[in-house]
Amino acid sequence: MSEFIQLVVAGLTTGSFYALVALGYTMVYGIVRLINFAHGDIFMVGAFIGWTVLTAVAASHMPWGIGLLLALILAMLLTGGIGVVIERFAYQPLLSAPPLSILITALGVSIALENGVLLIFGAGFNTYPHLIGSEGFMLGGAHITNIQVGIIVLSFLLMGGLYLFVHHTFIGTAMRALAVDRDAARLMGINVERVIQITFFLGSSLAAVAGVMEGLYYTEINFFMGFVVGLRAFTAAVLGGIGNIPGAMAGGLLIGLLEAFSAGYISSRWTDVIVFLVLIGTLVIKPTGLFGERVVERM
Amino acid sequence: MIKPILYAGLPLLMTLGGAAAFADTIKIGVPVPLSGPYASAGVDVLNAAKLAAADINASGGVLGKQIEILGEDDACDAQQGVQAAQKLVDAGVAAVAGGYCSGAALPELTALHRAGIPYILDASTNPKLTQLGFNNVFRTIGRDDQQGPFAAAFMANYLKAKKVAVIDDNTVYSKGLADNTVAGLKKLGIDVVYYDAVTPGQMDYSAVLSHVASLGPDVIDYTGYFAEAGLMAKEAAALHLAPKLMGGDATDDPTLIKTAGMAANGWMATCAPLPQFLTGAKDFVTNFTKAYNTAPGPYSVYEYDAVEIAAKTIKSAGSTDPATLIAALHKVTDYPGLTGNITFNSVGDRAVASYITVIVKDEAWAPYVKQTPAGQWVPVQ
Amino acid sequence: MQGLLNRPISAAGIVALAVAAILPFFCHNYIVDVALTIVTYGILALGLNIVVGYAGLLDLGYAAFFAIGAYTTALLETLLNFNFWETIPFSLLFAGISGIIIGYPTLRLRSDYLAIVTLGFGEIVRIIATNLDITGGPNGIYGINPANLLGHDLTSPKSVYALGLVFLVCVLILVIRLGRSRLGRAWTSLREDENAAEAVGVPTLRVKMLAYVIGALIGGLGGSLFAARFGTIDPSSFTYAQSVSILIIVVLGGRGSIPGVLLGAIIIAGLPEALRFLNLWREFVFAIALILLMLVRPQGLWPARLRHIAPPSAEDAHATPHAEVAEQIAETTAGEPDVLLEARDVSRVFGGLKAVSNVNFTVHRGEILSIIGPNGAGKTTVFNCLTGVIPPSAGAIIWNGKPLAKLAPHKVVARGLARTFQGIRLFDNLTVFENVLVGMDHRFHVSLASEMLALSYARRETHLHHAAGRNWLEFVGLTAQAGLRAGDLPYGDQRRLEIARALAGQPQLLLLDEPAAGMNPTEKQSLMGLIRRIRDLGTTVLLIEHDMLLVMGVSDRVIVMDRGQVIASGSPSEVQSNPRVIEAYLGAGEDEDEDSLAAVSEGAVA
Repeated sequence: MSEFIQLVVAGLTTGSFYALVALGYTMVYGIVRLINFAHGDIFMVGAFIGWTVLTAVAASHMPWGIGLLLALILAMLLTGGIGVVIERFAYQPLLSAPPLSILITALGVSIALENGVLLIFGAGFNTYPHLIGSEGFMLGGAHITNIQVGIIVLSFLLMGGLYLFVHHTFIGTAMRALAVDRDAARLMGINVERVIQITFFLGSSLAAVAGVMEGLYYTEINFFMGFVVGLRAFTAAVLGGIGNIPGAMAGGLLIGLLEAFSAGYISSRWTDVIVFLVLIGTLVIKPTGLFGERVVERM
Repeated sequence: MIKPILYAGLPLLMTLGGAAAFADTIKIGVPVPLSGPYASAGVDVLNAAKLAAADINASGGVLGKQIEILGEDDACDAQQGVQAAQKLVDAGVAAVAGGYCSGAALPELTALHRAGIPYILDASTNPKLTQLGFNNVFRTIGRDDQQGPFAAAFMANYLKAKKVAVIDDNTVYSKGLADNTVAGLKKLGIDVVYYDAVTPGQMDYSAVLSHVASLGPDVIDYTGYFAEAGLMAKEAAALHLAPKLMGGDATDDPTLIKTAGMAANGWMATCAPLPQFLTGAKDFVTNFTKAYNTAPGPYSVYEYDAVEIAAKTIKSAGSTDPATLIAALHKVTDYPGLTGNITFNSVGDRAVASYITVIVKDEAWAPYVKQTPAGQWVPVQ
Repeated sequence: MQGLLNRPISAAGIVALAVAAILPFFCHNYIVDVALTIVTYGILALGLNIVVGYAGLLDLGYAAFFAIGAYTTALLETLLNFNFWETIPFSLLFAGISGIIIGYPTLRLRSDYLAIVTLGFGEIVRIIATNLDITGGPNGIYGINPANLLGHDLTSPKSVYALGLVFLVCVLILVIRLGRSRLGRAWTSLREDENAAEAVGVPTLRVKMLAYVIGALIGGLGGSLFAARFGTIDPSSFTYAQSVSILIIVVLGGRGSIPGVLLGAIIIAGLPEALRFLNLWREFVFAIALILLMLVRPQGLWPARLRHIAPPSAEDAHATPHAEVAEQIAETTAGEPDVLLEARDVSRVFGGLKAVSNVNFTVHRGEILSIIGPNGAGKTTVFNCLTGVIPPSAGAIIWNGKPLAKLAPHKVVARGLARTFQGIRLFDNLTVFENVLVGMDHRFHVSLASEMLALSYARRETHLHHAAGRNWLEFVGLTAQAGLRAGDLPYGDQRRLEIARALAGQPQLLLLDEPAAGMNPTEKQSLMGLIRRIRDLGTTVLLIEHDMLLVMGVSDRVIVMDRGQVIASGSPSEVQSNPRVIEAYLGAGEDEDEDSLAAVSEGAVA
């Protein structure tokens, strides 16, 4: 029983990271029908910006609480900005080109981000300062740390906030309108380019939060860290039904749990196979993912 | 640890490579990953080669000529590895000393074998490389099947473990070491309660660790690399796990301590005697750190020995002819290298490979124990 | 192959191959090794090009087939002492089977979902190879023997290069022939518009599967070559990054374009080599170059050209037996009963909405029957039920006296029901002539193999079809435009081409969905004439139309639908004076679009 609880907590923790990153995939896909392969690397860039800020804070005798907040805010703003810049220069000119061209551009952006960070920060591992210890409490025989609870709670707050934003604000409504029909949205007076930029900004900021949290929790970051998380998050987004926000959250948590259970009860070496088989099985039974809307097409 | 290399190492590499190209030199090729995820390890190896060449050239070179290091990027990839090797052959190297990933080293070795050029490996511990029957392969590092039994003996005899869990990361090196460790443990009658692989890069190993801990091992031995080892040390502490933690030589890295912080204390690793703990290698560490503004990597010292052996053998053989050189290399006995005395056996492996253990104390690596020829465990001085 | 020499690009290609062939005689081994890597990538990219370029399906796990070929060769050589040549059939077999395995679950998925499923498949194959003992785990397999030819081991870079070049030429011939076959045409139609392809008789599921399988075969062949070249393989050669590189070659070079794909292979395999001096900057510079190239040339560096098939001359076409349009139609209608089609109590429910309820009507051979009714009356839903796009919820459709039970649309076409679409759905990037040919390809009887080998009876049939297709273009007045890109035609011509494409399938019944929409009065006038001429050929016409002038002028009978039900039927004059009809048209002023509502809630076609 204690092992089971331990696995659930581990799964929810990693699942929270996946879910936050998956939101970016799903929002961008919903609006511009692009699988943004660079999104995992955006997450990595967020982690590095957070690291840079915290390293500077460490040198300046600033209180850690303020430093942490500063790191989070700066990482969100800068990463969001990078997301917008990438959209503006690499994706926007290709929005009306064949979908595969923009996909290849996204792959190019991914390689460029990874190697850009490698050139600036080096190929090795950088480590976050050990700000948060492993204090915690016992629950049903399992050890749970405070930071795990913090990560899960913060992720849920952010996901809930995003859901409210998309459903209860003007910009959120505009985003949903774009997702249904970009041209119609434009005719209704929506500034389509602006809404797409806001989408990229939000998605990248959420990934940055995940990046900083990952840095704080696991402490080690490197230029390649976005690959595994990006792949998992992309899987999560598709499993939940790409384009669907609650689907991405559920998909992320589900993948996290699946990963923990397969590592705990089967074998970590088969984790990826199990995750992909579950995904393929789900899509065969329900081709649009767990929460995906049916596709609209008229003959 | 890695960052300064870029600023210090890279320009140096380019200027050295460019300036020496016109002189009449003896060329030694170094195929290592210079791009991709293993680039930093490759740079550490290449820098050691350059340092060795600089030292040799400062004392007059070999056969009246300067040694020139030609670094080529193999990106840890089979196709690029072959192309790198072929490029070195075409450039007229007398010998090749380097390599990092077995996946690239093997095709490189095949290409060099065809060209009849000796290949002295500095980092590939996989036994297969010297079992192919090629006469042109040598290595300055020990093999997995030499380290594995040592690790097993350490756990059984020194740590007095009754039950052991072995985890690898499904890479060539890690699996090889784990296989040999498990075989050693079984020979000593130790109960291996868990032997399986994790997927590197997954960050969260708490699921595996809590499962492993539930099987009640006295020691958990992770044969993978330091990045995951650091995470495991940290996560095991958060889970309040009882078993002792240890790893192979690839966990012996400062990053493990940076990642795990206090939780790293008590982590043990088996490794070849590192330059830091070798009296003869103190100068190497100082010089390397001065030249590249960073401490040497785990394989730097083996590369230094590999280049030195190549140069010294060219000198003693009086020729850069590859066939003569291969024959001469097979005769190397008790060469006093930084990593101890080197004798190549008939297949090109080191006849005697010695190992020690190290431990993290107060968030720093410290020498721990070694085995005397009589089998006693004594502290490393 | 003589045709090849008549065209400058083909001639240039042969010159390029000749240069490649003599390369080893004056180059260092290093260059030869790089060239061999380019050749390997070229083979792989030509295989992936079938999936991505020809058929328009995304595949992010292509390295899996490469791996399966390589492991098959390696295992058979090391465990069972096969020689290289003996392993190749097995490599192809296992790669082909895995193509079916990957293809099957993905057939019904949207293309974006294919990305992750194929990626997952690629990773699964790699992880299995890493985890199993028989495949050597992470160590892989050592000691694979090189290929042996006439007693000589092909080990030197030059000899392996020669072998690779021979493989490349074989693959090139295969993909060129495939691209020009009717299967190639079917793939292109699939890429252009999957639903329209299905509706004109292309068996889309089978065609997709064939794309995966043939792509997989080529990947497997590349894998065998790879294993023989290196003598050792391990899972790190078959990563996701490898799949991505191959995909980049295809898209950067130009999807569906063979010279483009080869150019892409040269760039992707060669550029990193040329950039070696950059060391750590290499990948970064490569990535930036890739982004810039895609921005400047989104269609690829060397985009695929329009495939041109010249229609036979008018004299030739008319002189060909069985190629006249009237003959073609007569072939299918002979001996069939007078009642062509009967809808019995057909209903269709979307969610809780009854789009069509208990519709009954009969279509007699040789008549022009119109279905009219306000928007949302359920007319298009009736069409979709008749043509197999959606199954009716209840009721039966009787075709020539036999029930038409839940057949896929392409099978319905083969039975003799052809349709056009409300919004024009042509294959824009095919020529006008090829659009018509796609419509008649399901009538082909010769096997694909004999077509690709250009056997004489296959050539005869091809000629007959070309002649017949040309005559259909003449029938709708588009012979002069035969070589144009279909997407470039003016609106009215596109409508007529769509009708010609449907007619080319020899239908007994042609269903036209609002053919006059957006036409000017002159065009409508000529459309009326065309509809009558179609009927005069012997093809029955079922028409949905809003334009009352056209409906009343051309129809023999009219059925009126409102809110999913038939409210009246009879001759045009009877219907016009029916009070219920007048009420439906004048009283029901609302413009709700039930069909589209229904489609939203049910996902009619996906």
